[in-house]
Amino acid sequence: MENKKRDFFLTRVFKRLFIGNKKELTVFEEEALQSPFKMVLKNFWANKLSRFGLLVFLVIFLIVMIGPYVWPVDLGFQDNTQLNVPPGFNMMKVPKELKENVEKIYPGNTFGVGVDQDGKVYVWGHTKISSEIDLKNIPEDVLNNKIVDIAVGSDHITALDESGKLHTWGSTRLKQDRYPRELKERMDAGEKIRFKSLAAGIQFTVGVVEDGTLYVWGNTNLNDIKISRDYKDTKFQKATANINNFLALTEDGAAVYIGRQKNALSRIPEGLDKDVVDIASTSFTNAAIKSDGSVVIWGNAMRGERRIPEHEGKIIKIYGGRNHYTALTDQNELISWGDGRYNQNKAPNVGDDKVVDIFVGNYQNYALTESGEMKTWGLKGFLFGTDEYGRDIFKRIINGGKVTMTVGAVAVLISLVIGVVLGGLAGYFGGWTDIIIMRIAEVVGGLPFLPFALILSAIIGTRISPEQRMYLIMIVLGVLSWPGLCRLVRAQIFAQREMEFVTAAQAMGLKESSIVFKHIIPNVISVILVSATLSFATSMLTESTLSYLGFGISPPKPTWGNMLKGANDSIVIQQYWWRWVFTSLIFSICTICINLIGDGLRDAIDPKSNER
Amino acid sequence: MFQLKKYIAQRILYIVIVFLIISFFMYMLYNLIPTDPARAEVEHLKSELKSEEYAQVYKEARERLGLDDPLLVRYGRWMGLAKDKKGNFNGLLQGNFGYSNLYKKDVRKVVKEPMLYTMFINIFATILALGITIPLGIKTAVKKNSTFDKTVQVLSIVGYSIPIYIIALLFIYLFAVVFRIFPVGGMMTAGSKYTGLKWFADRMHYLGLPLIVMTLASLGGMTRYVRAAMIDSLSMDYVRTARAKGVREKIVVYSHAWRNALLPVITVVIGWFLGIFSGSVIIETTFGLNGMGKLYIQGLTNNDYELVLAMQMFYTVISLIGALVIDLSYGLVDPRVRVNK
Repeated sequence: MENKKRDFFLTRVFKRLFIGNKKELTVFEEEALQSPFKMVLKNFWANKLSRFGLLVFLVIFLIVMIGPYVWPVDLGFQDNTQLNVPPGFNMMKVPKELKENVEKIYPGNTFGVGVDQDGKVYVWGHTKISSEIDLKNIPEDVLNNKIVDIAVGSDHITALDESGKLHTWGSTRLKQDRYPRELKERMDAGEKIRFKSLAAGIQFTVGVVEDGTLYVWGNTNLNDIKISRDYKDTKFQKATANINNFLALTEDGAAVYIGRQKNALSRIPEGLDKDVVDIASTSFTNAAIKSDGSVVIWGNAMRGERRIPEHEGKIIKIYGGRNHYTALTDQNELISWGDGRYNQNKAPNVGDDKVVDIFVGNYQNYALTESGEMKTWGLKGFLFGTDEYGRDIFKRIINGGKVTMTVGAVAVLISLVIGVVLGGLAGYFGGWTDIIIMRIAEVVGGLPFLPFALILSAIIGTRISPEQRMYLIMIVLGVLSWPGLCRLVRAQIFAQREMEFVTAAQAMGLKESSIVFKHIIPNVISVILVSATLSFATSMLTESTLSYLGFGISPPKPTWGNMLKGANDSIVIQQYWWRWVFTSLIFSICTICINLIGDGLRDAIDPKSNER
Repeated sequence: MFQLKKYIAQRILYIVIVFLIISFFMYMLYNLIPTDPARAEVEHLKSELKSEEYAQVYKEARERLGLDDPLLVRYGRWMGLAKDKKGNFNGLLQGNFGYSNLYKKDVRKVVKEPMLYTMFINIFATILALGITIPLGIKTAVKKNSTFDKTVQVLSIVGYSIPIYIIALLFIYLFAVVFRIFPVGGMMTAGSKYTGLKWFADRMHYLGLPLIVMTLASLGGMTRYVRAAMIDSLSMDYVRTARAKGVREKIVVYSHAWRNALLPVITVVIGWFLGIFSGSVIIETTFGLNGMGKLYIQGLTNNDYELVLAMQMFYTVISLIGALVIDLSYGLVDPRVRVNK
């Protein structure tokens, strides 16, 4: 025993608190000597409900703490094309009937449209553009006619039937269906119009008829879609459209910008006046491939649109999504590059299966192979849908949970430190210290909590940065909520000091510090733990309430409270249920679990429940 | 009795001191906001006067409003403890609660109606909640550890864990959107001029959902409290004695045990009722009811700080008096608690 190294004091305290003595004990000895903490744990574990609460909470806690590293959230991010998308992964779910004989697929913002070789139109994904317009409602004459070509804009679909007539549905408020006069005359004259290429962007459509004439129609205010005089009589072979720009390829193999404005896209690099075999456009860039396989990309490439990955062979075909490109090489290799937010730049390996056709748009890619397989990559949908700014609610819940829990935990920690220190001082010293501390506690405890937190946040919070505001909320919550704990600790210490075991310890001549740390604190700590657990839930609730009222942590930083801020609106409650249901659900589960844990702990330390 | 009086006097003195401390602190906070009432008052003269004249007028305005006096003097004026420039005491204590910039009215007039409204819904919700929680609490205590009791226990944890606004959202969804029994929000049918019974029915129709939500949100905590109090009193010796004497179980529960359990419940109900005042902020903003909470939020978002400050003082007084009432009621209903201790 002599040569056994004596443990460091704190280690001993810790061991006593959490592990207890290692020696093998008989049943009776165990009864007598079990450390209070161990007893509490044992009782706690015996309670099924609190065990369940602990497990569920730990799962949520881990997801929320690790999740933000897996799914980081970009605070400045907004996406107008993905507003209020309901939960689900059906954006690239091509109907089985279509898969077998695809004629053309055209990906839309949150949906896909396809035509099969029999002229039947299929629509899948989230097609509700506004409360009135649903693109799934295909008009009668489209259903009755055989459709041969189709193009999908942001809120309209234009389809060409067998007889050479165009049909447009969806939003037609901004002249999406006002075809150019010349084209209309040709249609009315009964000409069987076929397009070499047909594409659409935001509220406009662009098509190249088989004789090489280019037509553009739609909303001219938003887009530069007028045909400049220089190209009135030029013959074209292809035109691409994206958001609000479009690019055309003449029959002579020159890539040309036809609009009248001067911008980053209209400045076409040199060397593209001949030998261009294919063109594509994303929302901010345009691309052209020359006959030697070299790719030229120009425009405002901010999302890696210029970073073409290494590939074998030369590129023969190129397609543009919203912010990414997909290309096919003559070695049958698929490559994608550019924005990878939704994995739309991760092209699959097709091996020897020859790629027959590729359809790319927005965040989706479809590749049809010779064996009839449909490969898809890109945005499938959102697990919990998106909010009013097009942000992924799942990601925001994960990241918001971290903020909410951190704020709650720090607030509890602050109140714990103040409460335990002041309560300990008051209980230990008594007398005047006790009186003064208790009066302060009464003043702070007497403050009406919610109004006070609101006014503090409103007065101080408006003049500091959002980050500082978060710390302010933590401090306000912590500083306002300590009196309860302080009173508890003081009462506990008072009560413990009068206990027989303390008197016995004193009689045995133990040091004061030894009595406090070895005999009083272990008995008090479980009570503190219960109180801290329960006030963790309360802090999270309060933070979320403040944020819900708009006085807590301000968006875009997500918290479970401020994600629910806009939800008390009948339209949101009714039509966009996913914007509040998931957040509410996970938050409620979380607080319920914490309260179950706290409750279980309280029962576990209650001596009445220890009677055997 | 003398001791009780002394105790009350002591507590009231203490309340006054605490009130002064809190109000001074709030006033100090309020003064952190960079506003300049003097400039606001003379701003319109700026274009008419020369710059020196304007500076003079501005200085006079500052002087007249007493903006350059020390903080303590200004606080005294606001509270009504120091004489203002006219030589009168005209502050909070004299009933001058300030002037609301948002409503262009005296704060006193602005606050009157919302306060009555908040009181009305709170009293209503309290009565409803008690009507449910007391029988429920008694039953769970009597059948302690039964399946029924355990179910109620779990449900009550769920009840007090979920934030009230989430309950509100859920109920709006269920009863206003899916079943369309109640309106989504608001206080009465827009543009209606009902009178008498019809007016009341219309009001109640709009109040239905907020009342249900408020009642439901308070069920969890209250039921647990009644249950705990009831279990305590059921384990008392007099209950055992009564049972041993062969008194019928119903009488034991409702007469012997409940009467004694009632006492702690009453004190909690008082505290809870007073706390609801500041807690109604959430319900009122969610349902768009013109109560005090909504007024408070409106004042905060529109920087109408004189209104906010006055309401803050009201909340403080309510919570201080509430604490006193609770302490006193403890002593009154339970002779074992000695108030002079």
